[in-house]
Amino acid sequence: MTIDLTSGRTATISLEPALLRRYLGGSALSAALLYPRLTRDLDPLGPDNPLLILNGPLSGTAGPSVGRFTVCAKSPATGLWAESNCGGFFGPELRFAGYEGLLILGKAPSPAYLWIHHDHVELRPAEHLWGQADTYLTQEKIRVEVGERLARVLGIGAGGERLIPFSLLLCDHGRVAGRTGMGAVMGSKNLKAVAVRGTRKIPIAREVEFNRLRSAANLELRNSTTSTVFREMGSANGSEYFDFMGEMPKRYFTRGVFEGAERVSGAVMTETLLTGVSTCHACVIACGRKVKLPGEAEGKGPEYETIVGFGPQLLVDDLAAITRLGRSCDAYGLDTISMSNVIGLAYLLYSEGKLTAAQAGGPLEWGDPSGAERLIHFTVRREGLGEILAQGARALGRHCGVEEAAVQVNNLEVAYHDPRASSGMALAYATSPRGACHNQSDYFMVDLWKDTSYSGGELQDPRAGAEKSADVALHQDWRTVHNALVQCFFASVPLETTLNLVNAVTGFDYLLDELRQVGERAWNLKRAINHRLGLSRANDTLPKALLTPYAEGGSAGLVPDFPAMLLAYYAARGWDEATGRPTRATLQRLGLGEVADDVWRTD
Amino acid sequence: MATPFPSDAWIKALKDRLNHTAAYAEAAKNWEGDLYFQVDYAARAPALLYVDLWHGHCRDAFAVTETETAPKAAFRLSASMENFIKVLKRELDPIQAMVTGKIKVQGNMVMMMKNIPAVLEFVRTAQQIETEFLV
Repeated sequence: MTIDLTSGRTATISLEPALLRRYLGGSALSAALLYPRLTRDLDPLGPDNPLLILNGPLSGTAGPSVGRFTVCAKSPATGLWAESNCGGFFGPELRFAGYEGLLILGKAPSPAYLWIHHDHVELRPAEHLWGQADTYLTQEKIRVEVGERLARVLGIGAGGERLIPFSLLLCDHGRVAGRTGMGAVMGSKNLKAVAVRGTRKIPIAREVEFNRLRSAANLELRNSTTSTVFREMGSANGSEYFDFMGEMPKRYFTRGVFEGAERVSGAVMTETLLTGVSTCHACVIACGRKVKLPGEAEGKGPEYETIVGFGPQLLVDDLAAITRLGRSCDAYGLDTISMSNVIGLAYLLYSEGKLTAAQAGGPLEWGDPSGAERLIHFTVRREGLGEILAQGARALGRHCGVEEAAVQVNNLEVAYHDPRASSGMALAYATSPRGACHNQSDYFMVDLWKDTSYSGGELQDPRAGAEKSADVALHQDWRTVHNALVQCFFASVPLETTLNLVNAVTGFDYLLDELRQVGERAWNLKRAINHRLGLSRANDTLPKALLTPYAEGGSAGLVPDFPAMLLAYYAARGWDEATGRPTRATLQRLGLGEVADDVWRTD
Repeated sequence: MATPFPSDAWIKALKDRLNHTAAYAEAAKNWEGDLYFQVDYAARAPALLYVDLWHGHCRDAFAVTETETAPKAAFRLSASMENFIKVLKRELDPIQAMVTGKIKVQGNMVMMMKNIPAVLEFVRTAQQIETEFLV
């Protein structure tokens, strides 16, 4: 469904089966649908930026970990392709209401929220929520207002309202579309939230077959070792291992060892604060954490990125303090990866005398979480230094005369899987279509967790160079498929199982490589979009810190051989070495001939 | 001279090596718990090797001959003989073996994940034993 917030008009878009077969759904199909609309002069915070919330063919079924949906637009953080996917129950509910997705255009004249209940679509006033309700209270109030306790609400907090380019969308028990600033895009449209309720059946081409397959897949998934550790310790289950291998960055990417890291792991959370687990729709893993802090109500516990960002990256070893910082970001609707990166850089600059206590509203001492708490509040209020912090790490670095100190790619701050220990992450960060991101390829799971299902069972040396570039590309292709379905990366089911599930639900009867090629096609299409938005070969880079070896720890002395890796990657991708663009031949092989004309028009 | 695996002599050789390996002592300084290695065969009863590990020190190690009277252990790592051979010959990564279920782990996974460095040093130490595999 399309809704124009300016006029209030809605329309239905029908999608041809051939298009669905080429792109499946999720962020892959989003790229195809948004391709004509994303131009270089499009203002990411203007009314013409299309905000597309889209499910995939498996979303909302009872398949393995497929309760996710994706949100795409032009990013206010990067100026490039934006996508962010999210778990919880909102996406499935949208399908239960009868919609594969929502294409949101225009700008509401005043703050509003969208209420969808099957065929009832209504734009309701939200002035009373704007500036008043955090991301959790927004959900509660809207459920009461629409009279549906089971309505699912996806909304923004103060971060989105104030157009912070790393603000997020949050639904349910703290499930977020965190990266690339989708909260700001929604905020720029005066849209506080989307609430939805539905009870319709999700279409499945071969239901009996699908049910048999998904039962077996869920059983296998539930009993796997990976799922067991995710259930027992959350996404931070591998903290000690990543720390040992030198893959967990500390002290804003400058130190390989922090003794306190062992006090803030997923295992320690399980032993100390954990009171329960939470799940997304129909998921048998249940990686979500519920924790209780002294004197406070039970609430969401932090996942790996939040723990590292507000923990070892600031030399903080207090899990309760980290939990509070994460909750604060969630309530304001700020991405914890970007926010903690910005704060980590502020701490570093303070320690080097490039940022003063007067500028920062007080000292920023390593190990003291109070400075981080203060900077979060400054940021969301855009108060004092907060006006700079709210623009991201690169802006803070530039403000202090050391832009190169910011650990970011294309103005998206780097996630906490260090390429100095998992060299595949060098390419994953540098070539991701949305900036430095571990959710376009979590190659550390190949390098360190030894997930060889994407590389024909071959183990990778976590420190290898150009010889693994083709495998990274292959991994990106498959992860793009998962982001099209939309399936959680934690669902460690065999690719053949995924193939069979996709075929049963769509009836498309893909062969395995044809399914992979859906991912490759979408990856190249996003590259073409980014080329149009101004990305060039010079954007495929890594920040200085990640190419500076650690002096200590499990990855001491190592840096990825990035230039050689990138050249091999271009060759594997079929991209032009000089410009970084997909060659005509590559685009034509993928059925993107019309895109080739666009990409190479200037030549 | 190679030590046969699985055997009482092999597990005692491992005990000796563990107690003389500084890297293991450091990595396993927080480890508390004994464990069984269960070597599974297609056509005969499994072999059981017992080790008692405590804060970087191996306190006891023996091959179990009477399963009825064997002590209870905190962990049990079971795998086929083929997969034990692959791990000890460095042909199968121990993390990969656990993640893919080629080695099945029974016991407190929180303790196991907190001590993955200890597990890796343990395996590294075991791989240094000159071993003859009793297939």
